[in-house]
Amino acid sequence: MPFTKTLFSAATILLATTTLSFADELNLFLSPSPSSTAIQSFIPAFEKATGHKVNVTETSYGEMHQKLMLSVQLKQGQYDVAQFDNSFLTPFGAAGTMMPLDDKIAASKEYDISDFGKGQQDYGKYKGQTLGLTLSTEPFIQWYRTDIYEALGLKPAKTWDEYRANAKVVKESGKGDGAIFGFGANVSWWWMTMVWSFGGHLYDENYNPTVNTPEAVAGTQFLKDMLAYAPEGALSATSDDATIKFFSTDIGAMVQYSGYWGMLNDPANQKHVGKIGTAPMPKGSTDVTHLAGWNIGIPTDAKTPEVAWQFLEFVLGKPNAKNYLNAGAAAIGRKSVITDPELVAKYSYLPVLDIPEGTRIERYPQIRVWPEFEKAAIDALAGIMNGSVEVKAGLDALQETEKPILAQENSK
Amino acid sequence: MPTLSRGRSKSIETANARLAEILVLPTWVMLIAVFALPIIGAFYLSFRNETLGAFVPARFIGLDNYIQAFTDPRFWESIWVTLILIVLALAVQIPLGIGLAVLLHRNLAGTQFFRTVLIIPMLLTPVAVGLMWRFLFDADLGVINWALAQINIHGPNWLGWRWPAIMAVTIVDSWQSIPFVMLITMAGLAGLPQGPREAASIDGARAAQIFFHVTLPSLLPVLLVIAMIRIIDCLKMFDLIFILTGKGGPGTATQTLGMLTYNTGFIFFQISRAAALGVLMVILVAPIYIMWRRATEYAK
Repeated sequence: MPFTKTLFSAATILLATTTLSFADELNLFLSPSPSSTAIQSFIPAFEKATGHKVNVTETSYGEMHQKLMLSVQLKQGQYDVAQFDNSFLTPFGAAGTMMPLDDKIAASKEYDISDFGKGQQDYGKYKGQTLGLTLSTEPFIQWYRTDIYEALGLKPAKTWDEYRANAKVVKESGKGDGAIFGFGANVSWWWMTMVWSFGGHLYDENYNPTVNTPEAVAGTQFLKDMLAYAPEGALSATSDDATIKFFSTDIGAMVQYSGYWGMLNDPANQKHVGKIGTAPMPKGSTDVTHLAGWNIGIPTDAKTPEVAWQFLEFVLGKPNAKNYLNAGAAAIGRKSVITDPELVAKYSYLPVLDIPEGTRIERYPQIRVWPEFEKAAIDALAGIMNGSVEVKAGLDALQETEKPILAQENSK
Repeated sequence: MPTLSRGRSKSIETANARLAEILVLPTWVMLIAVFALPIIGAFYLSFRNETLGAFVPARFIGLDNYIQAFTDPRFWESIWVTLILIVLALAVQIPLGIGLAVLLHRNLAGTQFFRTVLIIPMLLTPVAVGLMWRFLFDADLGVINWALAQINIHGPNWLGWRWPAIMAVTIVDSWQSIPFVMLITMAGLAGLPQGPREAASIDGARAAQIFFHVTLPSLLPVLLVIAMIRIIDCLKMFDLIFILTGKGGPGTATQTLGMLTYNTGFIFFQISRAAALGVLMVILVAPIYIMWRRATEYAK
């Protein structure tokens, strides 16, 4: 009897140990954000369903990309799933940081890539390979104060000319400032949008800068002209500053990423809850959608890539799409989400994420030297926006500055 | 008392010296690991073309990174900005720090209270200070321009223009550093002998004459040390600018050499170019360090 008991105990322990060794640990690398919070809310259910243990490392935006690149280059296998900003897609692609996911996506009914608009299916692609799933769909959209617009008989602008005219009316009415962009440290986001919207590009197919073309000059001039209708502090406002000013003072309109929705409707953060409407970004001579948002993927040195994909399917697949949004995440532009009446009633901005076929979708420029290119642009635009340099002269100088920077893109 | 033989005494001294060397060894190993090796590594990197953004095989490129730095207007501008910040910091902080120290040294009523209050800024972390002052300087929502408006002064857009931004950095740095100058000067004042000042007073010198001709010259060694420390602090000023002006803005108006090095390495991923800038920074700081050593010796 004692022998049988001992044998049974040993067998139980052995079985338990074996079972444990079958279960994999999954390490997530996330950045503090609504998307990260939503992802983490799925962990208990995933652990229960699969038996895999999920660990989370959250790193601030300022250092997360560098940390991930270093970790992968050293082949540490620290992370199995990693969140990253789309603006880092190219450096990650060039450095081989993330694993191509195309085969997995194609084979996955649960993920169902056809639920995305055609343009949005390419959001995580670098040189034809998908390195990241869409974790949030955050185009530039128009935000406006419904109370101010209604009082003045204004409608959300469809063109930039209308946007400027609306801003002028609001400013002259004394009801507040007309409109705001972030003219400070993030001015490049609005500037490139204007250049694209007015028909320009930042560089050509041979990586020659094209920042002083007539289209670029027109777009930049428009941006500068809008300062006249903005609050004084807009000149040095970062993206967050501009948003804070929009929801804490009286400003008629703002163009900002849709991901700010949660922040703009939080009564703890702002005093205009229920008085903010959304509309598509106005158009210039070209119909452009400036598309941004997070990606998430599997680092090339991941220890458990199959389990990582299982987790991504579980959290970001079509069956859980509604739950994901309701968990507080910035919306993913799935057709099934943005056309769902129940969700649209709750999140009125969702239809704005329906990016029409034929629009020119522009992401952050897909070049390795983008950070340096962008910094040079921000430095030049500071002088242009505060009037110490004329628009054309400033862009001519920027054109020369960008040449050697872009030349690195061609170098081995 | 019995005396040890010369031979035995020597062997004990040798044994003690060896023991001391062994005990110090871990410290040396640690210092080499955390200081010497990274510096050597940075020096090595500065002659290569390592970038974090690509798996391009890196190679030795000689002095290219240094040549690029010297021909880059941003490099010279960042040195110019650094020098401006140093000059402004010294011009503001040392006179005000001395003034406060002299006032508090008189032990007037409330001295203890003000001494405590005045050192609070020194205890705060620069990041928190930067965030707080960034809101204070806001042209639309900030308290500073609101207060100026109360006396009919239209405040500038502090963080949107070059010189106001430089002034803003100087104001915040001074707010945090004047207490340091004050404390060290007070310590210097406390250590000064009373004799010369009393003699000058008996000779009929006025308070201002005593201060400028007796007290201040006596404090000179202490002030030299303070100046050197503040220069070194300004050269490595980073976190305050990072937060307050958004990594050296507007444009490059407040981009110091340290900020440029950070941007190059961690924003542009140009590790080797950043290493070269770091080496140049060390070379630029070296004379200041030598001056600091001499000032310290002079102070003794």
